[in-house]
Amino acid sequence: MLVRRAIVSAVLLVLAVLIEVTVLAPLPFPGATPTLVLVVVVILASQFGASTGAVAGFAGGLLLDIAPPAAGTIGITALLLTVVGYAVGRFAEVDDRPWWSFAVLAALAAPLVVFAGALLGGLLGDPRVRWDEVIGLMFSAAGYALALGLLLTLPLRRLCRWAVPEAYPR
Amino acid sequence: MRDTRRSRIVLAVLVLVSITLIVFDLRGGDSGPTRPLRVAGESLLGSAERAMATVVVPVRGLLESLGGLGDKDARIAQLEADNARLQAELDTVANDRARVADLEALLGLVSTNDYETVPAQVIAVGPAQGFAWTVTIDAGSRDGIERDMSVISGAGLVGRTIDVGPTTSTVLLIVDATSSVGGRLSGTSQIGIVSGTGRQDSLTMQLLDPLAVVDVGDVVVSFGSEGGRPYAPGIPIGVVTEMRGTEGQLTRSAILEPYSDISRLDIVGVVLRAPESPPRSTLEPTAEGG
Repeated sequence: MLVRRAIVSAVLLVLAVLIEVTVLAPLPFPGATPTLVLVVVVILASQFGASTGAVAGFAGGLLLDIAPPAAGTIGITALLLTVVGYAVGRFAEVDDRPWWSFAVLAALAAPLVVFAGALLGGLLGDPRVRWDEVIGLMFSAAGYALALGLLLTLPLRRLCRWAVPEAYPR
Repeated sequence: MRDTRRSRIVLAVLVLVSITLIVFDLRGGDSGPTRPLRVAGESLLGSAERAMATVVVPVRGLLESLGGLGDKDARIAQLEADNARLQAELDTVANDRARVADLEALLGLVSTNDYETVPAQVIAVGPAQGFAWTVTIDAGSRDGIERDMSVISGAGLVGRTIDVGPTTSTVLLIVDATSSVGGRLSGTSQIGIVSGTGRQDSLTMQLLDPLAVVDVGDVVVSFGSEGGRPYAPGIPIGVVTEMRGTEGQLTRSAILEPYSDISRLDIVGVVLRAPESPPRSTLEPTAEGG
């Protein structure tokens, strides 16, 4: 069960990273690049719980940190998405959360990750951080995360249920 | 209850690992302990991005052309007008070309086409929220690319390679806030440092001579580094759009608009070797030339 869970999560995360840098980032979206990896982490955490959520967040963040053309400090995205995965996993422990609540959660997490990333980068001396753009990036990131969350939550849930039926006792 | 405790331990361990990675990456620099991670990313994820790009690049083109569907008519009208004008100009070109060839032979000029370049396709871009202006191209060490080579587009200087994998390389664009290029005002000997601002449409040039006479519309070309690395000489960078600071002040800077459209990079060229003699520097006839 653990193996299948790991395989499903790994495949989804690698695909999300590749799509984010080769498809979404080159397209001229205003503001932030849609944070597909974060949305996938939120969905995985909502399905498999806080431990898997934290691990998926760490793995997805680390992949984003090292996938070319990444130039930032390795570990920052990994740290932020770990926390996101854990928090969403804890939120999902209460049963009967409506499915769309996770899209809303992604839309809340995305701007926080943008802000925390800029803050950490700035504190660690990254000369690139532009504070005059951060607000715009946060709003657009929230919008894209909401849209991606609403679009992907149900299909990815079905995929998880199909691939790892043991995780769903009912 | 036990599951909660386990997930807390997982969280704590992963947070610690992340912080350790951040510290190592910041302290280590280019030879640090996180280097293998970057190399693995460059070769494994780079190859995956390359494979992905074979599917994605045509689709991306389609999406972009769909976005521009509305102004297609205006574009066609514009192009027809241009076509008519160019047709008229064409008659004079043959004559001009012969004259240019003669002049070039006379002056021993090296045309800019003499840059030895490898063409490459942009396959991936860094997310905007990372604030870094970097792209991945689908050519790497197997194509003869090394670190610190100039990358150009048809319009001008694009950036330089900062990381090279077997089949992909990462390019730091000139608009990135950490990028700086030696620039020279074309036609004068005024030099300065052209730095990125983090915005795609502007660069700043810090002029070394506070008394320099600079006008809006002046063209800035790369000054060239020793051995043509990382920046080959004579590549157009941008055009002056604004002057900051008054003449005679200790520092003067110019705002430039880059020639290459950073947001729409598609095919670029990596300069393997600059021309033997930099363009426009030798103005005496060659001994063996006619």
